[in-house]
Amino acid sequence: MAGGSTTTVGHSYPRMEGRAKVTGRAEYIYNMRLPSMLHAKVHRSPISHGRILSIDTSEASAMPGVHHVITGEDVKKVLPEPYYGPAFHDQPILALDKVRHFGEPVAVVLATDPHIAETAAQRIVVDYEELPAVFDEVEALTSDVIVHEELKPAGTFADLKHLAGKRDTNIALDYHLQHGDADKAFADAEHVFEHTFRTQQTMHTPFEPMVALADVRNDHATVYSSTQGPSFVRFELARLLGWPESNVRIKTAHLGGGFGAKVYVKVEALAMALSLIAHRPVRVALTMEEQFYTITKHPSTFRIQSAVDKDGKVIGRKCEVWWNGGAYADIGPRVTQKSGFTAAGPYDIDNVAIDSYALYTNRPPAGALRGFGIPQLVWAYESHTDIIARELGIDPIAFRKQNILRNGRPQAVGTIVKDGEFEAVLDGVAERMNWNRPFDKGSGTKLRGRGVGLGFKASISPTTSSAIVSVNADGSCIVYCSTVDMGQGSDTAMAQIASEVLDIPIEKIRVVNPDTDVTPYDMSTLGSRSTFHMGHAVRLAAGDARDKLHAMAEEVGMPEGSNAPLPELFIRKFGMRAGAIVGSANYIPEFSPPNYDTGQSTNATPFWMIGATGAEVEVDTETGQLTILRLVNVCDIGTPINPIVVETQISGAAVMQLGFTLTENMVIENGQLTNPSLADYKIPGFFDMPDTMENGYIDAVQENGPFGAKGAGESGTFGVSPAIANAIDDAVGVRISEMPITAEAVFRALREKQGKPLEEN
Amino acid sequence: MSPFELSEPQTLQDAVAMLDASDTGIRPIAGGTAVMLMMKTGIFQPDRLISLRGIESRYSEVSVDDAGDLHIGAMTPLRRLEKSEEAAQAAPVIRRALRRLSNVRVRNVATLGGHLAHGDPHLDLPPVLIALGARALIVGASGERVIEIEDLFRGYLETALAPDELIAEVVVPAQGTRRATYMKHTTRSADDWPALGIAVSLELNGDEVGSARVAIGAATDTPRRLKSVEAALAGKALADETMQAAGDAAAAEAEVHSDARGSAAYKRELIRVFTRRAVRQIMEMGTGGAV
Ligand SMILES: Cc1cc2nc3c(=O)[nH]c(=O)nc-3n(C[C@H](O)[C@H](O)[C@H](O)COP(=O)(O)OP(=O)(O)OC[C@H]3O[C@@H](n4cnc5c(N)ncnc54)[C@H](O)[C@@H]3O)c2cc1C
Repeated sequence: MAGGSTTTVGHSYPRMEGRAKVTGRAEYIYNMRLPSMLHAKVHRSPISHGRILSIDTSEASAMPGVHHVITGEDVKKVLPEPYYGPAFHDQPILALDKVRHFGEPVAVVLATDPHIAETAAQRIVVDYEELPAVFDEVEALTSDVIVHEELKPAGTFADLKHLAGKRDTNIALDYHLQHGDADKAFADAEHVFEHTFRTQQTMHTPFEPMVALADVRNDHATVYSSTQGPSFVRFELARLLGWPESNVRIKTAHLGGGFGAKVYVKVEALAMALSLIAHRPVRVALTMEEQFYTITKHPSTFRIQSAVDKDGKVIGRKCEVWWNGGAYADIGPRVTQKSGFTAAGPYDIDNVAIDSYALYTNRPPAGALRGFGIPQLVWAYESHTDIIARELGIDPIAFRKQNILRNGRPQAVGTIVKDGEFEAVLDGVAERMNWNRPFDKGSGTKLRGRGVGLGFKASISPTTSSAIVSVNADGSCIVYCSTVDMGQGSDTAMAQIASEVLDIPIEKIRVVNPDTDVTPYDMSTLGSRSTFHMGHAVRLAAGDARDKLHAMAEEVGMPEGSNAPLPELFIRKFGMRAGAIVGSANYIPEFSPPNYDTGQSTNATPFWMIGATGAEVEVDTETGQLTILRLVNVCDIGTPINPIVVETQISGAAVMQLGFTLTENMVIENGQLTNPSLADYKIPGFFDMPDTMENGYIDAVQENGPFGAKGAGESGTFGVSPAIANAIDDAVGVRISEMPITAEAVFRALREKQGKPLEEN
Repeated sequence: MSPFELSEPQTLQDAVAMLDASDTGIRPIAGGTAVMLMMKTGIFQPDRLISLRGIESRYSEVSVDDAGDLHIGAMTPLRRLEKSEEAAQAAPVIRRALRRLSNVRVRNVATLGGHLAHGDPHLDLPPVLIALGARALIVGASGERVIEIEDLFRGYLETALAPDELIAEVVVPAQGTRRATYMKHTTRSADDWPALGIAVSLELNGDEVGSARVAIGAATDTPRRLKSVEAALAGKALADETMQAAGDAAAAEAEVHSDARGSAAYKRELIRVFTRRAVRQIMEMGTGGAV
């Protein structure tokens, strides 16, 4: 179905919502108010782990203007099992008995004035018996500190059916992959390499913080939420309430960013429970600061070992990855498994062993964040791969090409690679960087270097998308789908697809904001799955409508191939401008589940996402300060539905990862987060951008994708971090193995290398 | 953030009259960029804010008097100061420092008076103004006084101002043939508050340093002069050894602590490097003629 000439798909249409956004007219849930609503303010735990001995709400309740002060026990009275989560039902709506991370919601004040609610929330007094806490993922594996005494698998998702957790440990999921015989490869190897890499805890920083307004009355709940996954939120709230899903309505608008922070349930269950108790609409709107306590990106430790033969072929790889999931599993177990199986990198390695662990700790929960664990893995395997190339004296690109995974070969998970243009992506970067030409390495105290990183990701599978396409009697068209446009341009892409199939100009197409009473099921807007899955669903639904229009034309006696305008057709059929033609479709790709013991699957993913980055850096050897002179990002995104949107997705992803690489870091000292605000948690600004940045994609076709397309939202993140670390090594010969790469870390490494280590303080 | 009262006096005298030496719940607010951050984090919960926005417009102006001294009204937005040709003529280092101070949005509203009265050590202009030998005109209930900027800072968010005193104006004395530079260094994002600021002002006699004023900000508890560096420079030839000695003196004199922007050991190295570079930059200006 790919290729061919298209009129709408493949063109750089401007974003449908662009004008409304830049003129300040776009609607966001954060700006929404409901008549007679109450504002909620959360009282949060100041400690990381402890038993709740008592909660004194008397002073808060006595404040004029306070309507309710609500604790976990109050929630339990109306919702007997008030736990939620996509993998485990481990997260209480408000803490019950125990708190498991600093910043955990313990009680809530409801007031008509948010300032009163805030002041009253500070007057709630909670008495804790503090318990020892565990913060490090490697320690958590063997620690005596147990975060959850009881583990309750959710059993919701097909790919997580086997989840059980391990009692009396902090292991939420252990994933193991065996491909070939890794031990034998290491015994046979000419060279063996081992390194350990770490990443830090970071946050998504959506500029519209998480927000939900709930209005529960009689047996209906309506929740307006800035969510990426309205269908899942409906499912989960209906489950908590014990109601049919038709009694729960979730509505979204444009999101002011999501990046994975707003998947699954975040503040919706709390808003729903509060409205249920208060019999009034309730608004739960987090501040930027509170988001740090809500969902984060997994810190990780990755020990990677390679067995290499005398010709520089990697014959075996062993990967042990520990994911710091924080106090509640959220979707961490899927990160552990889905990302886990690519931990050996985009290489054709016959013998691979992977052990990947999702661990509970007493940090704020970690979940999905643009790349879904892949950037943590690529950081390690591409740093490691570069070190091997350097030590063997082989050009880093030549070494990668010698070992690269190619179409027709099995990836470690046992799935034969198809439409995965690893080599072309790497070549694309090398070409743009003029890799084979001499490079100015600088002089004096300003030394230059360059490096690359190549990563890949499997799509989440199996997941379903449904769409409805309705053609109006005037020839205009409405697309109903639950894909959430959070800035990635999905509305525009879906409109382009409908336009292409129906031959209706895109200006006459409207894409409805998700509303679960109106738009049909979608698994969620995550993992760069929408273009592929919802793209197919919209394509099929539009095709269904087109077939019905053809049948109608035949019925009213229009000659086949007649190009009579659509309104004409409706008038002939209905006698006036009336009626609607509705097409619908469900889409689910093929999939075979992995074997639990070996992790092997013959069809683990409908498509592979591939991204590579090349970096040129300059290091000030007197300060360790880095300047990114050039950043080149090249991806395999199949054939783009909208080229300009794809390019901005690649640049946005790369810049986001640049922040995680260089500046962003949730600093935890003595069990406290010391920088929960943008004043001290530093996302990159304009002056942190590389001097030059190039973003592109290679010519490629995803044969099973809609119009040859596949996901493009994350691939730009993959290679950024190791490309920079590899470039630093090239420039000054030091290796940074822990993110973020600060100037001080580089300076310390330089001094270490000179044999003059800098004192600690 | 809790509700508070807002007063908007029309004169500086009225504003002073509204302040109360014994009530720390009453505070002046100028641009509000620092006050609002403190209120958001709950460090400061005012009962009443006295807005200086409505006071006489002459407190928002920049001018040069007959003696060549530069007068900057306390209510002058940093952006206006950055754009001021008078200021750029009198002391070009001010404009250069401002360009990298936070971002345009903050500079549009933040004022020089608020910048100095805030008493946060992590600000850019205090070391610059100290190196330039600037002074502040203070107005209080009991009258006016003048204080050297170098004497203004007493501790973290602590200044020599009484709660019922306002900064009315900052005066930068005519610089004659002195040349100055400012080195800002951030260790997190580029538009972060500085981890280190070094300001150096030198009087050059041919290839020799006449007198030197050197000030440090951000890395130390308060912005301050580094007198050992001044001594290491005064009367010395403008040569590599002099710059090296200045850097070493700075690293030895400045008392630094580890914090989120870096360890003390690292900051000492930064101080050494940037002091040396600052002196070098002035030397290069000297020969190149550009200021
Ligand atoms: C995001 C951000 C980034 C920043 N980055 C930098 C940076 O990189 N470098 C830097 O140098 N600065 C930076 N700043 C700080 C900024 O320069 C100060 O916030 C600003 O100068 C304060 O000015 P203001 O007019 O807003 O003061 P306000 O917030 O109005 O007041 C600050 C304090 O001064 C008092 N006050 C105000 N005016 C007077 C007066 N005339 N007399 C006596 N007391 C007075 C107030 O009561 C208050 O205590 C940043 C600020 C923000 C918000």
